[in-house]
Amino acid sequence: MLNLGYGQIAVTSAIAVALAMEAGIPILPAAALGLLIGGLFGLFLDLTILRPVYRLRGEARVLLSLLLTLGVSFIVDGFLNWRFPLKTLNLHIGGGAVEILGVPMRRGSLVASAITLATFAGLFVFFGRTSLGRAIRSVIEDEEGARLIGIDPKKMLRLILVLSGVLAALVAVTRSMVAPVDTKSGLSITVFALIVTVVGGLGNVVGALLAGIILGIVNVIAADFIGSYISLIILLVAAAVTILIRPAGLLGVKE
Amino acid sequence: MLEVNGLSAGYQGNDVVHDVAFRVHQAEAVMIIGSNGAGKTTLFKTLCGLLSPSSGKVLFEGGDITGIPAERIARLGMRFVSAARHLFPRMTIEENLLLGAYPNKPEPETMSIVLDLFPRLAERWRQRAGTLSGGEQQMLAIGRALMSNPRLLVLDEPSTGLAPLVARAAYEALNVLRERGLTVLVTEQQVPLAMAFCDRGYVLENGFIRLEGTTEQLAANLAVRSAYLGVT
Amino acid sequence: MSEQLTSGTGTSMIGGTEARSSRSILVLLMPIAMVGVALALVPLWLSDSRVLMGVAVLGLTFICYTIGFNVIFGSTGQLFLCVGALAGVGGFGAAILADNVGWPIVVSILVATFAATLTGGLLSYVAVRRSLGVIFTGIVTLIFSLSFDALLLGLSHLTGGDTGRSIHSGADTFLRAQVPPYYLMLALVLFFLLIHALLRRSHIGWAFRALRDDEVAAELAGVDVARYRVYGALIGAAMLGLAGSTYAFTEGRISPTTFGFGEVDVVVLVMLAFGGIGTLFGPIVGAITFTIIDEVLIDFGQLRQVAYGILIIVLFLWMPRGLIPTVASIWRRVRRLVEVKE
Repeated sequence: MLNLGYGQIAVTSAIAVALAMEAGIPILPAAALGLLIGGLFGLFLDLTILRPVYRLRGEARVLLSLLLTLGVSFIVDGFLNWRFPLKTLNLHIGGGAVEILGVPMRRGSLVASAITLATFAGLFVFFGRTSLGRAIRSVIEDEEGARLIGIDPKKMLRLILVLSGVLAALVAVTRSMVAPVDTKSGLSITVFALIVTVVGGLGNVVGALLAGIILGIVNVIAADFIGSYISLIILLVAAAVTILIRPAGLLGVKE
Repeated sequence: MLEVNGLSAGYQGNDVVHDVAFRVHQAEAVMIIGSNGAGKTTLFKTLCGLLSPSSGKVLFEGGDITGIPAERIARLGMRFVSAARHLFPRMTIEENLLLGAYPNKPEPETMSIVLDLFPRLAERWRQRAGTLSGGEQQMLAIGRALMSNPRLLVLDEPSTGLAPLVARAAYEALNVLRERGLTVLVTEQQVPLAMAFCDRGYVLENGFIRLEGTTEQLAANLAVRSAYLGVT
Repeated sequence: MSEQLTSGTGTSMIGGTEARSSRSILVLLMPIAMVGVALALVPLWLSDSRVLMGVAVLGLTFICYTIGFNVIFGSTGQLFLCVGALAGVGGFGAAILADNVGWPIVVSILVATFAATLTGGLLSYVAVRRSLGVIFTGIVTLIFSLSFDALLLGLSHLTGGDTGRSIHSGADTFLRAQVPPYYLMLALVLFFLLIHALLRRSHIGWAFRALRDDEVAAELAGVDVARYRVYGALIGAAMLGLAGSTYAFTEGRISPTTFGFGEVDVVVLVMLAFGGIGTLFGPIVGAITFTIIDEVLIDFGQLRQVAYGILIIVLFLWMPRGLIPTVASIWRRVRRLVEVKE
């Protein structure tokens, strides 16, 4: 299933956090609110739009999920741009640059990276060691097998969607520490998330982390040495090459 | 323990099994034998809740479970091992077994019983299920089903894809479990194997139950002997 | 895979692909001719407004794009999310060849179309060699789309970067007039329809249907699935390149947004899915419907996108297989009821 609305969930959360902070709510609760909204958005998608998608399989499922989430992304994008056209979320972490291993980094980047790493560690533990995490993986591995041991695939999918909503919100919040996130960032977030996921290997958390890091590094190097358009092309081509060499992704397992 | 009456089920409006009725009592080992296409797997799928029956009733320990979906039936004390096994290929033996007890943690006693029964699983503890041999996969499938301490174990053609020695080993394991009080229902194509293990049985032919009786009765039955035991 | 194609069971999104090999050519040409006549009458009613004629020409161009996409995706199942980019190879390629290199317009168009064809074929070949499934093909072609877009922005001395460029060649000819471009694009539409119809009746079309229905069975029956996929991509990409380059000369001005992912691919996907993937006239129905919807929605101003999104959701929840297949199955049910009554 392909969720093209991912970036919009992120942007919605970002705007929510921005609004909350304008209303005077301090950063942490506002960010928590953003995460909550992301999760609720995911829940909403599962309960409504995606019901008919679940009844399908294979290519038909991909297509319908693509089209319906596209519709959702239009609605959200259009609404946000209409109502909050100039809102941006910009979490500025004060203080000068900090040196890590000889490389100067902005505090914002540092905090963002730390949060990201912590999240990945958390996800790794969740999926690898908790029974709920294993249950979710089992549904992806063999849905009938999961049902035969009493695991309800519908509930697990709902959980996945809520989790992905929360993660989208987290992406928005951490990104805003490095660069402003506004109502137009939706598509680029979706595309990057898609590319990172696919390069890392669908369904593979470590792979996604690895891909994110590698692609990020490639991006920065290219941008520094060449120019921003070519660097974007190089990034994209690098992603494409990775997919082509290992269609299962960097750490995906070949079926 | 398990009571089935007038069960009919099939795919897309066409019934494959018709008006099937049978019983499984506590501590028994019952078999449903039949050749290919008789409807054994369809029957199995209906019992475990992957398929909804078009008519009939299924009662488990007195409660009506007709039409209840698989994920709920699995929590009632019955566990199923399908012919396709449905293991989680990229997850390790350890993880597959742990999941068998979901949502609870497996009882240490249960785990040690399973590992005693199938020591090979302990040897390959961290190996991914997809890389196991046929026999090992069957062991894992049975082991996983046992992790929740079911009172009734239903197996669909457990000898599928197994070499004769391995299939016999699987049945021997089931025997050990029987002695510990497990009730077993098997559908089986390889009749001699099933007969060596079960007390009672039913013969399924073209979707209908044609015969029933104790193993001795069935073994002595001329029709059964020629059709399924190759004795003329 | 075989569960997905059968058009009567309601579980598939791909519409009717009945073989028409038993009918004569006339029956084939009649509907196309009728469509041609109907569309030819449109300028009678719109020709006073330059703006509306422009919209109509763009609408016809989108029909061409959608037919091309239909040939690639509907016939061979390759989700090419680079429709705009391929058309752009044609459009920008022809513009550069005509203006900067000085070649005659027709030659430029042909060469640019050829370039687009090769690109499409290459993408397909790569996808096929690496056995990429639907999602992955979509992502790789999406990456191509985005790269092409970045390329256009980067090569600004040739392409005019962000703001695009104007095309001087053909400036004083009928190409920039108000009505003739419409008939030019209409000719392309009918040409593409004819090709698609003939394709479906040919052995290539048979191979397409076979590989769409059940890839493994097709291979076993002797269909070289890989080869036919590339054929489909070549033909479709050629259509896209031709349409893109011709359109460029009628507009006189192109920019990256003319061939962008959001502007072309998304729209074409919706148009085709709505009309009916794999059907002959699906692209026509879909493109016309959404061109009209687009015009109507202009009045909504800022909320235009919201309305568009709501419309997409409603339409696809209601008719997941598209308009033509849904109508066809309703028609079949009505016919059966009538037969029973008799």
